[in-house]
Amino acid sequence: MTTQFQELIAKNQVRLAMRRKFTNGFMLSVTGFLTILALIPLFWIIGYVFYKGFAYLNLSFFTQLPRPLGMEGGGVLHAIEGTIVLSLLGAIFAIPPGVFAAFYASRYPNTPIGITLRFSTDVLSGVPSIVIGLFVYAIMVKPMGHYSGLAGGVAMALVMLPIIIRTTEEMLKLVPGALREGSLALGAAEWKTSLSVIFPSALSGIITGFLLAISRAAGETAPLLFTALGNERYDLKTIVTSGIAQHQSIFMIFGRIVNQPVDSLPLTLWKYAQQPYPERIQQSWTVALVLMIVILMINIAARVWVESRKRRLQG
Amino acid sequence: METKILTQDIANPDVVSTRAIKLECKNVSAFYGKFRALTEINMEVYTNQITAIIGPSGCGKSTLLRSFNHMIDLTPNARVEGQILFDGININTKQADVVDVRRRIGMVFQRPNPFPKSIYDNVAYGPRLYGIRGKNDLDMLVEKSIRQAALWDEVKDKLHQSGLSLSGGQQQRLCIARALAVQPEVILMDEPASALDPISTLRIEELMQELKKNYTIIIVTHNMQQAARVSNYTAMMMLEKDGSRSGTVVEFAETKKIFTNPKDKRTEDYVTGRFG
Repeated sequence: MTTQFQELIAKNQVRLAMRRKFTNGFMLSVTGFLTILALIPLFWIIGYVFYKGFAYLNLSFFTQLPRPLGMEGGGVLHAIEGTIVLSLLGAIFAIPPGVFAAFYASRYPNTPIGITLRFSTDVLSGVPSIVIGLFVYAIMVKPMGHYSGLAGGVAMALVMLPIIIRTTEEMLKLVPGALREGSLALGAAEWKTSLSVIFPSALSGIITGFLLAISRAAGETAPLLFTALGNERYDLKTIVTSGIAQHQSIFMIFGRIVNQPVDSLPLTLWKYAQQPYPERIQQSWTVALVLMIVILMINIAARVWVESRKRRLQG
Repeated sequence: METKILTQDIANPDVVSTRAIKLECKNVSAFYGKFRALTEINMEVYTNQITAIIGPSGCGKSTLLRSFNHMIDLTPNARVEGQILFDGININTKQADVVDVRRRIGMVFQRPNPFPKSIYDNVAYGPRLYGIRGKNDLDMLVEKSIRQAALWDEVKDKLHQSGLSLSGGQQQRLCIARALAVQPEVILMDEPASALDPISTLRIEELMQELKKNYTIIIVTHNMQQAARVSNYTAMMMLEKDGSRSGTVVEFAETKKIFTNPKDKRTEDYVTGRFG
């Protein structure tokens, strides 16, 4: 029996080895080829945007407001400032409830509220962003009577919320249960344990989640169409300096920053690209480039920060 | 040198002189939902002694240990019946002050679990919980606790580095220092050396001999040699014979007796390695 088996193996050995080698090589080339295929669109997009947008890229593009057509120079400062204002507003509205909800969901995952929370988070992340814009239009823009950065910020927050809840919850779940037990065994209360042991342990991951949510929302156009609208004369410097000149309180100035239509990079891109003037279309490519660079910077900053923090914690 | 001290303890049982009872279990049973994990445990833990709890896996050693400081409450549906007398007062009641019990009965876990904070903040965490804020008080407590945990010389120059930068054995001693910093009376150790190498294990065992002068120690261990080396008393736990998968203490005696002259056949089989 054994010898028979060995003979059979010997007979097939060469053939099997060849087949193994062939299958191995074949699968390797297939996966390699498809990987490259998947990478092509990514680099194509980046390369093409660079190629098209680089021509108009100069310092004044970042520091000046748009000039009328036909005039040299001008930039998209209004859109850069608007994007920052909208993203910050969104973050302010979305982070506190998002983090607390995530704490609840990770601590009590199988309670009715926990299950509902997770389910509705999934649903919310699946809602088309244009619908979010429409919703905020109905609940804020309509009653207020005008478009505003505030409404845009709320729409941004709704885009960020599910991302923040999800990533925060995942990060909290990754904190070893032993840490929680260690703190409770010293007599610490549950809230104290969450606040001073679990949250700091998960912080780098949570912050990464924030930044991903912000960069995702910063690239959204649809929620802003009905809410922030766009504003080519939006200029923080003028608002602040004129506010100070008129001795307005900080709340007044803040109100003026958020209580008027605000522009953003994707909105500007969308508007410029629709215009029939080659100059504007050129500029819209540059806006795309700037938007990409901003989002890339946020992502790189997140990674650098997380790495340095990790190294500090590991000693 | 140090090993001599360890063997002395077993060789001279007269070291075991004081027999003041620190903790006492009276008919303690524990349940996870409907499952009965512990049945009718009766044992005593003597002040300034090391009591080992040994037995096969899944016999409820950790469950018993966690009953002492209410850590079992964290498991959903867990409940403990019977009396656990701590200095004569039953702490297994709903009215028991869990925070106070956990402060007075500290715990060291199987895997070192320092918080991702500095060495100093790890040790100061407990005292801060109890309202100690003054820098001098904290500095003093931190140094005292780390010294007691025999870690001071290794970390005194890097108190503000992360606790996670230490080696496994150092991390475990840091966790011991953290438990000591809230001035407990009893220290529960749940297989404190099972994740450590032999040298770190030896250091922990030496440390226990040092600590028992001031504290009462209960150690759960899988390692029978460890129980024989370090403990003064041993509780032998086994599953009930009736196949209910419920654990109970089959024999509780001085460690020397358990290992040389066990009364229970099951204990004898286990400590001689004939357990199957």
